[in-house]
Amino acid sequence: MKKKILSVLLAAAMVGSLTVGCGSNSSEEKKDTAPTTEEGKETTEETEAKTETITSVAKKEGDTFTVGFDAEYPPYGYMDDNGDYTGFDLELAQAVCDLKGWKLVKTPIAWDSKDMELNSGSIDCIWNGFTMNGREDDYTWSDPYVDNSQVMVVSESSGIKDLAGLSGKIVGVQASSAALELLQDEEGQKKLADTFATLQEFPDYNSAFVELQAGSVDAIAMDVGVAKYQLETRGEGYAILDEELNTEKYAIGFRKDDTGTRDQVNEALKELVKDGTFTKLAEKYDIADMVCLKAE
Amino acid sequence: MDFTKILEMLAGGMLKSMGIFILTLVFSLPLGLIISFGRMSKNKIVSFIVKIYISVMRGTPLMLQLLVVFFGPFYLWEANIGGPYRFIAVILAFALNYAAYFAEIYRSGIESMPSGQYEAAQILGYSRAQTFFKIILPQVIKRILPAVTNEVITLVKDTSLAFAIAYTEMFTLAKQIAAKETTFVPFIVAAVFYYIFNLLVAVIMEHAEKKLNYYQ
Repeated sequence: MKKKILSVLLAAAMVGSLTVGCGSNSSEEKKDTAPTTEEGKETTEETEAKTETITSVAKKEGDTFTVGFDAEYPPYGYMDDNGDYTGFDLELAQAVCDLKGWKLVKTPIAWDSKDMELNSGSIDCIWNGFTMNGREDDYTWSDPYVDNSQVMVVSESSGIKDLAGLSGKIVGVQASSAALELLQDEEGQKKLADTFATLQEFPDYNSAFVELQAGSVDAIAMDVGVAKYQLETRGEGYAILDEELNTEKYAIGFRKDDTGTRDQVNEALKELVKDGTFTKLAEKYDIADMVCLKAE
Repeated sequence: MDFTKILEMLAGGMLKSMGIFILTLVFSLPLGLIISFGRMSKNKIVSFIVKIYISVMRGTPLMLQLLVVFFGPFYLWEANIGGPYRFIAVILAFALNYAAYFAEIYRSGIESMPSGQYEAAQILGYSRAQTFFKIILPQVIKRILPAVTNEVITLVKDTSLAFAIAYTEMFTLAKQIAAKETTFVPFIVAAVFYYIFNLLVAVIMEHAEKKLNYYQ
């Protein structure tokens, strides 16, 4: 009898989650087109009244603050020499938590499941060099804090000097990344991407760089901060093209209904800019020329 | 990060992978036996339902099952899936999946037993439970051991799928260290760890096979 109940439950769960998954997807798409801010928020509250019960409440002192990040994304979030997770974004998150009296929990996530992790409440925010451009309506965003740009990395020996030189070449890009979205966007760089021989997706930059070295791809599109870190640790032989693909901003992504925590984090960020902690961290990670959060 | 630190980190990760491995076996081996009874049940409804269970479990990727078990409770009942549930979900998904495979292995062993043995046991006055546990099961275990070894070795390598729901086991750590160091060294270390562990499993299982080979 137990087996029966168990198997029925399981079957139901599988079918159920599939249909639920599709359902929420399509409603999300609708929300994208809906007007933003107040009106958009109202429709969200109606359709997703259920999810709202988890957390739109602001956090109190002593609460945990769970940050979801990709631990393979230096210099924003990665593993340090002692095996602890660190990076500009994570240290900034720690500073925010210290200020607010929250307990920081660093949860490395599978980047492909970031939305499920966030919506189900297993993380409080996505904070890891997260590009807000093109995703404006999908999350509740903090104030942008880094001016990022997408660039092309080529090997020096390839002789490629500008974006036009990429015509007919094989270009690599990380799966689910902002660079990939940009290259597939009609209003972005789709025209440029159409001139490539192939747009090859990679799970991580490590394998992409080996392929670049081996000559099986000719260029890799990525965030400029990441490109700088890679070139610094890998040494000679690579170059970043002067022409940028775009400029965009990093911000912290919260659940759509979670403006409470967002406001608290914004407030804390402002204080950190004022007392100089923010600039100090930016200098430590060598991205001081990119940060864009200024004291008012 | 120097080499000894990489070894130390990955050894720590290996413990987490072994945790998945051991707990999965502890739960799925007995559960598999129960499911195999359901599969062989004379009750048509029970055997049909169990058949569907096995078919779904074997017919969909383990990675997808991990996602369903972890995120399912939230999307279906808005349950809180924070805290320790991540690890529980890993074990639950692995145990449910592997139990389906083990059930079929048990069935292959049990159904290969000649019916004459049941008849002889009945004449000797054995009850049904006694017949199964004293006569049939010991022979079944002997017969299915090579097939079980196959599954167990696959399980060692499958532990790396746990990162689909952000459980940082050994292979995930190897990827993270590789990203930080921008080298492939951690992967080689990870491969050696997996190989040694599987070698150990194979040796132990072979030893067990020899031990059980008491009639030759």
